[in-house]
Amino acid sequence: MRKIFAIAWKDAIIRFASSSELLFFIILPIVFTFLLAGGTPSGDEDSRIALSVVDEAQTPISQQIITELENSTAVRPELTTHGEAQSEFDDRRAEVVFIIPAGIDIKSLQSGSAQVELLQQPNNINATVAERAVLTAIRRVSSSVSAAQNAVKQRASIQAFASDKEKQAYFQSALELAQKIQKDAPERVSVVTGNTQDQVDYDPRANSSAGQLITWVFIPLFGISALFAYERQQGTLRRLLTTPSNKATFLLGTISGQVAMALVQMLLLVGFGILVMKLNWGREPLALFVILFTSALAAAAFGTTMGTFIKTAGQADGLSVMFGMVFALMGGCWYPIELFPSTIQNIVKILPTTWAMQGMLDLVLRGGGLRDILPEAGVLLVFAVIFFSVGVWRFRYE
Amino acid sequence: MKKLFLIGIKDLKLIFRDRAALIFMLLAPFLLTIGMGFVTGRFSGGSTGLSDIPVVIVNLDKQQLGNALADVFSSKELADLMDPTVSSDPEAARHLIDDDQAAAAVIIPAGFTRSIIPAEGTASNQNFVQPEPVKIEVYANPSRPTSAGVIKAIVDDFLSRVEEERIAGITSITQLMQTGLLNPQNADSEINKLFDNPQQTESTAITLKTNTEGPAAVQFDILAYMAPGMALLFLMYTVSYGGRSILAERSQGTLPRLLVSPTSTSEVLGGKVLGIFLTGVAQVGILILASSVFFGVKWGDKLGLTILILAAVFGATGWGMLITALARAPGQVASIGSALMLIFGILGGSFVNLDQMPGYVRTLSKITPNAWGLDGFTTLALGGTLPNLMQPITALLIMGAILFGVAVVVFNRKGMVQK
Repeated sequence: MRKIFAIAWKDAIIRFASSSELLFFIILPIVFTFLLAGGTPSGDEDSRIALSVVDEAQTPISQQIITELENSTAVRPELTTHGEAQSEFDDRRAEVVFIIPAGIDIKSLQSGSAQVELLQQPNNINATVAERAVLTAIRRVSSSVSAAQNAVKQRASIQAFASDKEKQAYFQSALELAQKIQKDAPERVSVVTGNTQDQVDYDPRANSSAGQLITWVFIPLFGISALFAYERQQGTLRRLLTTPSNKATFLLGTISGQVAMALVQMLLLVGFGILVMKLNWGREPLALFVILFTSALAAAAFGTTMGTFIKTAGQADGLSVMFGMVFALMGGCWYPIELFPSTIQNIVKILPTTWAMQGMLDLVLRGGGLRDILPEAGVLLVFAVIFFSVGVWRFRYE
Repeated sequence: MKKLFLIGIKDLKLIFRDRAALIFMLLAPFLLTIGMGFVTGRFSGGSTGLSDIPVVIVNLDKQQLGNALADVFSSKELADLMDPTVSSDPEAARHLIDDDQAAAAVIIPAGFTRSIIPAEGTASNQNFVQPEPVKIEVYANPSRPTSAGVIKAIVDDFLSRVEEERIAGITSITQLMQTGLLNPQNADSEINKLFDNPQQTESTAITLKTNTEGPAAVQFDILAYMAPGMALLFLMYTVSYGGRSILAERSQGTLPRLLVSPTSTSEVLGGKVLGIFLTGVAQVGILILASSVFFGVKWGDKLGLTILILAAVFGATGWGMLITALARAPGQVASIGSALMLIFGILGGSFVNLDQMPGYVRTLSKITPNAWGLDGFTTLALGGTLPNLMQPITALLIMGAILFGVAVVVFNRKGMVQK
């Protein structure tokens, strides 16, 4: 037992010999958790089509049009300058640009000279949708003036006005009437939200906390392979042969030390999740320990197996980071797995990160308990048994 | 000059012989790009664009306006956008939405038309009572908010036309009656005429001038963002690896040996920097080429692409040199380089699109070559050419020049390159 502890302690001293290790142990994981909690799509963000709006008129009428656009369910107006909008449009970054030129006011509406402009990329469906939304907004703002103009036209087609004054009075009277009718207009559409089950179970804070925890803990655990390769390269593994320590003691010492450091790192990140991100990690401490421990075991086992295949510490370092990042990405630690195509969702079940992530989300997102995480913990233990078996079987001192 | 190139090429060869470095430089970004392709559905034909939105139309009105709205959804103009199916059972239509079979159901109740246009000969009847407004129901699928929003906007568009005609019709006819030019007995037939001939009441107050003469639409390929994102992420590893070699040569004693040969300090340092630069160019070039060959990403303007790669690597090399100048030992360069690689990766948009990040992150991203590089690659993938790349290229060149300047000052102060 003392030997096992001594080996684990030696590995901890080597790992934290440089203070820069703290960067990767706690600082960067916290930075990533914090940034990704606010930077990944939550499903609650505004999904309407972006419509660049240039308001050169800056009048009550232009403001009314923009307000109508803000109420649209299809487009999201984004105010910008003419130059920026034109540049975005030319670079194809903006699909549609709506320009309200200077001079759009009530007078221009009454005189019929008001004209607004819509720049659309050709053959673009989003631009077609935006055009309808813009037309709706314009109509809502101008319909009373249009109605008054039409009334004047109808009247003139039956009997000409005797004077401009009479025409203006007729227009004014029609405008007041139209405005009253518009004001009293009833709502003619209602939106009822269906009972479709939401396919994406997601909270950016919980997903980021669990996902980054797995990413930053699995990479150093995969790095057990580099420890083996380093000791093999240095010849220290051969020297162990001359001591009264067997293979099991060495492996147990190395692996248990890394798993213990991983658990400390996990608890620090869980603590950050609870204290700063107000996540409910601590509701079921036993379940939390089971999922953290089985996750660490599975990752350490994979690192052990890797260590028996890789020759140099440099290659092991690179492959640990590479596998750690790819497994985290594919296991749903960076983006919600529910957004993946269904075939991919099934394929990634071969990865330990997928099960670790689901187990942790069961706890922190879905409010599950020990019983809920047992399937995931079971699969992670199976991973651990398989990879430890392969690792121990293939392990050589030279 | 020849010596400078010899040192640069020597370093390039050395790094490409190091299998461990190749894992970081090429294998990891390539595999992560493939992973991104899988999870985003790029390899399984998943589309994020709006098209063929499934909508269920239930027209219980079966009159003028109800039929007109049903026709809007099956119109030629919306053929690419909408995929309508017709149902006569509102409950069945709602079930389809609950089962996620369509984005929304548009249920037009019986009496909708008559709630707006009175039947001919009824409005002038003394006992006529204006009917209660009948509302169209949009039964929306909450898991498809964008598509459901578009369907609602189409219904809104239709209703705004109807409302405009109604206001115009009533205003016009009321005014005519008030001036004695229209007999009240004929009022409702006149209103019906106006609805039959909507051109008479078309909006005249504000006209919309549409202009579709812009650049042709380009379908954005998500891998055109992901592939350079990963290449730029691991480019930071490459430049710090190269910087590490300068300090390693010093600690191993090969740098002083180089300096006692008839080679000037600037040639040695320039050669080392050139080696880092060439390695970065080779790395990003190979990854971008691979994205084109294996995943079919179209990069368009080749000249623009080449200059953008050179500028991005120049900016990143500047960071590599600054880290080298500030560090004391090769191990420190490796640690700071790896940390910076990850920090720049997240700040610069290599992991998550910057549009989804808070404003302060977008501001901070300007110090990273990742953000400017990705800006340029996105422009290229959208069909842009060299003139459209001027801003990111200039920013990357300025970034590189400033960082080189600072690195040289620090190098001189620390006397790192002395015989």
